[in-house]
Amino acid sequence: MSKSLEIEICGVKFKNPIITASGTFGYGIEYARFIDLNRLGGISVKGISLKETKGNKMPRIMETNAGMLNAIGLQNVGVERFINEKLPLLKKYDTRIIVNFWGKSIEEYVEVARILDESEIDMLEMNISCPNIKEGGIAFGTDPKMTYSVVYETKKVIKNKPLIVKLSPNVTDIKLFGKVAEEAGADAISAINTLLGMAINIETQKPYISNITGGLSGPAIKPVAIRMVYELYKTISIPIIGIGGIMNYKDVVEFYLAGASAVQIGTANFVNPEISIQIVKELEDYLKSKSIDKITDLTGKVIV
Amino acid sequence: MKGKVVNNLMLNDKYYLMEIESEEFVSKAKPGHFMMVKAQQYDYLYDPLLRRPFGVCDIERGRFKILYILIGKGTNLLSQVKVGSYIEFSEPLGNTFNFNNEKTVALVGGGVGIAPLLFLAKYLYNQDVLVDLYYGGKTEDDILLIDEFKKYCQHIEVTTENGKVGKKGIVTLPLSENIKKYGKIYACGPKRMLQATSELAIEHNIPVEVSLDERMACGMGACLGCLVYVKNDKGEIEQKRCCVEGPVFDGARIVWE
Repeated sequence: MSKSLEIEICGVKFKNPIITASGTFGYGIEYARFIDLNRLGGISVKGISLKETKGNKMPRIMETNAGMLNAIGLQNVGVERFINEKLPLLKKYDTRIIVNFWGKSIEEYVEVARILDESEIDMLEMNISCPNIKEGGIAFGTDPKMTYSVVYETKKVIKNKPLIVKLSPNVTDIKLFGKVAEEAGADAISAINTLLGMAINIETQKPYISNITGGLSGPAIKPVAIRMVYELYKTISIPIIGIGGIMNYKDVVEFYLAGASAVQIGTANFVNPEISIQIVKELEDYLKSKSIDKITDLTGKVIV
Repeated sequence: MKGKVVNNLMLNDKYYLMEIESEEFVSKAKPGHFMMVKAQQYDYLYDPLLRRPFGVCDIERGRFKILYILIGKGTNLLSQVKVGSYIEFSEPLGNTFNFNNEKTVALVGGGVGIAPLLFLAKYLYNQDVLVDLYYGGKTEDDILLIDEFKKYCQHIEVTTENGKVGKKGIVTLPLSENIKKYGKIYACGPKRMLQATSELAIEHNIPVEVSLDERMACGMGACLGCLVYVKNDKGEIEQKRCCVEGPVFDGARIVWE
């Protein structure tokens, strides 16, 4: 594999900047039957909490124009079972493992982070931005004081791994939240999580998903994500991992130009499980055709 | 996977039958499997975005068929796919129907749910199982592929709500009259039909397998958007993914909503 795609974020080396996004790639192992996980830069594992969580009622998903709404509700097996049952299977692959985690209180965030910090993962990704659960999640990501507290308190117990904070787009000014997270000790930012949305069935006159609202993802949200990565890049100095509607290498380049140092592929994994691997190849070809030595040379290089 | 569309036949105003060439797919497909099909043929089109799940309707000589109903953007695009062009789809996904050497079985189906039952009927016929079909529809337009089923079924009972084709009423009525002769019942169709069939089977202590159709994003067990609630041996309710642990479930264990 070409060196042009190698990156380093917070001291962690990735063979390429393509990471599968949390919530769209299960525990990684679900996809092992369909693709070679060794070819991914990294995998961001589904949001892990202290205890097993069953998620929201069905129906949980609905397709919208060039996107989808979901209200899964951060269903997961809990941190203990993740480490004992899922992580050993994932560790067989040569890819970076980022674990997205969340809690219903600051104490829970701290406890999950403390446990994960001692495990064989590469990075932690704090989810303060899930729109689908009542307690925790987005509540921490849309109040700057709470964002500061949860990042600051959690960072205190993390001794071994870098901490990424995944921001919510459901705020008026994302720059403020990037700044607050950075000041509280975040080592990197990932942006964005899903946008809060809703869809109504006009036959039954009821919302399509049981939670009424859900998180909108897919190509429909890409321009919002690009704008937010661009704003964050101008505001903070820690690395930004760009997320939001990436479907091909062109979208990746766009995120890089806006200010990303890596990207996560989300909903596109549902559409084509091989998409992340295809994008790695396409990116290599693009860099070669443009005579660009390293993809990192593109970060923040949009000409305005 | 990619395959050449060799037929995309309009059966009536609502239903289409698409035939696709793919040796690779056919070599792996078993009765009960489904696949995710990309509705649009161009990579730059992201609307509709997600692939659509379809049961394997039939396989023959390197070709497989999918039955679909015109319902939204995805299926409308599928209906416009020209013969000779190529279409993308996943490998066969999910679990399959189970067989325990039953001598006589009943298939119960309705709507597009009839699709996996044709493949199943053919398979069972080739295993020398006697197969009866109970086929229910709202109107005559919902009754499809009868000539195909006749090749593999010794008896076919059709019902429609308006009575224009077959008997008037719901399909579980004729099924209930003959139910004692069956060693097993397989069903696929609208949820209410599956629930009624399962309840009838439980009442007569006959094993029943149903194939469910839930809204799916990935079809591979990652998104957790297609959950089904099932009772385990201890009577506890468990979450199962329709795409991985299903789509075929023991009808007696499903918790119907």
